[in-house]
Amino acid sequence: MSAVSDRNDGHEELRKAVRAFLKNASPSSEVRRLMATAEGYDPEVWRRLADELGLVGLIVPERFGGAGAGAAELAVVMAEMGRTLLCSPYLSSAVLAPAVLLESGDEAACAALLPGIADGSALATLAVAEDNADIRDFDAIRTTARADGDRHLLHGTKERVSDGCTAGLLLTVARTDKGLSLFAAEPEGAEREPLPVLDPTRKLARVGFDGTPARLIGAEGAAAAVLGRALDLGTVALAAEQTGGAERCLELSVEYAKTREQFGRPIGAFQAIKHKCAELLHEVESAKAAAQDAARLWSDPTTGEQGLAASVAGAYCSEAYVHAAAETIQIHGGIGFTWEHDAHLYLRRARSSALLLGSTSWHLERVAEDIGLVPTA
Amino acid sequence: MPSATAQDTGTPSARRAHWSVRLAEFLDAHAGRPPRDKTERLAWARAFHAELQETGLAAPGWPTEAGGMGLDLADQIAYHQQMTAVRAPKHPCGLSFIVAPTLIKHGTAEQKKRFLRPLLRADEFWCQGFSEPDAGSDLTSLTTRAERAGDEYIVNGQKLWTTMAHLADWMFALIRTGPAGPGGAGISYLLIPMKSRGITVRPLKDISGGTHFSEVYFDDVRVPVENLVGEEHGGWAIARTSLGHERATAFLSDEFRFRRVVNELHRLAKTSGAANDPLVRQDLARIEASVRVLASNSRRALDAVLQGRDPGPAASVNRLVRAEFDQRLHEVALRVLGPDAVLGQREPTAPEGGRWTYGYLMSRSSTIGAGTAEIQRNTIAERVLGLPSGRKQA
Repeated sequence: MSAVSDRNDGHEELRKAVRAFLKNASPSSEVRRLMATAEGYDPEVWRRLADELGLVGLIVPERFGGAGAGAAELAVVMAEMGRTLLCSPYLSSAVLAPAVLLESGDEAACAALLPGIADGSALATLAVAEDNADIRDFDAIRTTARADGDRHLLHGTKERVSDGCTAGLLLTVARTDKGLSLFAAEPEGAEREPLPVLDPTRKLARVGFDGTPARLIGAEGAAAAVLGRALDLGTVALAAEQTGGAERCLELSVEYAKTREQFGRPIGAFQAIKHKCAELLHEVESAKAAAQDAARLWSDPTTGEQGLAASVAGAYCSEAYVHAAAETIQIHGGIGFTWEHDAHLYLRRARSSALLLGSTSWHLERVAEDIGLVPTA
Repeated sequence: MPSATAQDTGTPSARRAHWSVRLAEFLDAHAGRPPRDKTERLAWARAFHAELQETGLAAPGWPTEAGGMGLDLADQIAYHQQMTAVRAPKHPCGLSFIVAPTLIKHGTAEQKKRFLRPLLRADEFWCQGFSEPDAGSDLTSLTTRAERAGDEYIVNGQKLWTTMAHLADWMFALIRTGPAGPGGAGISYLLIPMKSRGITVRPLKDISGGTHFSEVYFDDVRVPVENLVGEEHGGWAIARTSLGHERATAFLSDEFRFRRVVNELHRLAKTSGAANDPLVRQDLARIEASVRVLASNSRRALDAVLQGRDPGPAASVNRLVRAEFDQRLHEVALRVLGPDAVLGQREPTAPEGGRWTYGYLMSRSSTIGAGTAEIQRNTIAERVLGLPSGRKQA
């Protein structure tokens, strides 16, 4: 899927198909209905995403029942989902969970778990973060796994787990004597609690393990690198979602600036508004470029810069989206501050996403590290 | 020489490989360390470009009939990469490449024959006579005027911020030949010899204390009518002529330069220990992210052009992005320098000869020259986003 020459035509088709689908499946009224539910997604829409569009198994290789597409296609899909604030477990179940399984190199686990994930019948998520630590701060992981016959028993609490209450499969990391290791647990053995959150369009949960039985996935003690790669692919996907949201904010702002009149002319005729819009365009275009490049590099391992590009996109797109959403409120004035207007939904999604898979500070420090600026001592 | 070998494969044109091999040979023979002395360095750059033209390796994007190489976009990119890789000297008069497209598209056969060759060779330097004391961002209100007298124009008035005026042999100027009106009416495009009687050039000291631009006064300056480019009163429309993909490729050399400068800043931050400060490090990481986003952005525009599509908004925001990046880069550079950032260029212990403080001062012009950032934002908002014009309706 890394052919550069024809990628745009194929992507354009894909973009159009997803946009057309989401126009009906995820209008503002649906987003608002679903964000008020406990599940936070529409099972029928999820089924259609899987069956009609084949998007749930997008990055799952064909031998495990997926479409075998690359990060570039994933980015196209995520950008469209970001535009409409689609409420769905896509990031957790169609991106993070398959990514971590595939990165683990555990063929048996992949064969057992991926087909169900790919066809949408099983919802999976990845539970990593603990306490108030950044999801990327693996040193902060204290959850333990103790061997118990051919299984392990987990003890600990995971925070801010995407779709943690709806997932039928919990992929998680815990410490054994050999270090960080990846496990799969059934939710029945865990304590799950929905979290009231800033962004109700993406459900988060607290997941407690208290002797929860789990299967080891991949090699014991080898989870750090696996997890890092999975979170990086998640970051690439999320960056694309962020650009979609930011682009939509710009459209809403420009539309409003053209129609809203004050002092006898559209507010878009005033430079204060015009310059804000021009600035947003610059940031949205740059964010798109960064996200597309990160996706392109993901499928090209020769550069050795996938993680770096993911963090560049992660940092840039996070800030661009937050800025776009905040300025959308400002450009709309009073109406932008109301519950009825969608601007706050974008701001909530933007601000929350900026922390979801690593803070901007974390991503920047990673960039610094990768270009050799962090002292080694 | 990876770019040359890469082009050998799968291209129909033998000429392609031919030019890149010839260019590599040329660069082997001619590139080297620039002389330290300013005057010698200028002479060195002129000689380089004269020989480049002689060898038929100048102006990759110009049509062959204009004396260029007529390369397609992909080859132009490869050409720029090859030049940058060996740090070949820049053409000493960048302004020449603003007048050249206008001459190529709108000049008479005689004008092209007379001007293009010495322009490419850097035998003749050009300056741009656009801005005036009362015509900056609102350029169409310019008042320097020309009156027709037989086969001559008589020019009176004043131009301002004229970069290179003190070194230039020629000025390409926008001059009022008729009454002002909408769409730049009454403005003509004239080529004026700087040695003409009646021209006074008064160099202005700029922010750095150096002399890069001047005021230029015209007192009954006689210019032959044959030096008019395009139609009389039709100068405004042709003033910003560009050739094909010029806007897409113009950014490349900037980009390669930014990449190099950022690398140099990283090196400085590591050796000086400034990178150990986590706050400076975050700033440096932001600069690294920006220079990469910048590159991604142009790649996106170039990809589009290479596939025969419109480069879209990405290309229009490019210039603005670059100008502001240049400023941020130098602000961070001064943080990296620490307290030594207060030292002037003449202080022998100033880090790296004071280049960063000099660059810091000079970078202030990047959001002013050739269209302020504010005017660019207006243009982006109106042309790309379709917001209504805020200008007074004439």
